[in-house]
Amino acid sequence: MDSSAISTELAEGLKNLSPRDKQELNTFITQETQKSQIQATIHSLTDLCFKKCITSKISGGQLDRNEQPCVQNCVDRYMDANMVVIRHLEQMRTHI
Amino acid sequence: MADAKTQIMDQIRQQSALSNARSLIEKVNEHCFERCVPKPGSSLSSAETTCYTHCMEKYMAAWNTVSRTYLAQAQKGAGAAAGGSPFGS
Repeated sequence: MDSSAISTELAEGLKNLSPRDKQELNTFITQETQKSQIQATIHSLTDLCFKKCITSKISGGQLDRNEQPCVQNCVDRYMDANMVVIRHLEQMRTHI
Repeated sequence: MADAKTQIMDQIRQQSALSNARSLIEKVNEHCFERCVPKPGSSLSSAETTCYTHCMEKYMAAWNTVSRTYLAQAQKGAGAAAGGSPFGS
């Protein structure tokens, strides 16, 4: 993608950053990476839960009173299930 | 011209917002096309267009609900699941 390319001028400027600026940039990038990972998870969860919860005919722009709690439960149970997997793996690891 | 650090930060923010929007558009289209245009005709009917608008709003409402619920859960479990790797370090 073109817009993600770094100009030579900018690359030159990056080389000359002060240690403090470098540190700040590092922290910023770590945070942004984390943020976009969280966003990616939210996208895939929305994908999953929309499929499961919005099953009737779409007749309005808002989540109705069944859909809203269904989406919440969908996320909560997904996290529970995730924990089950992690715990089980953890258990398997200690029993080897 | 802004310094290199600020420029990079702005570029990252822009790219990140762009890819977030792109994912949303992709998902909305995927779901709403499936739901609202079961049999594509020679043009989008007004009913299909209305369905699309509703579907889009619904999808974004779902996104917001998921986001809120997920973040609340993640914060609650942050102590227990810190790091996120099931295999430890």
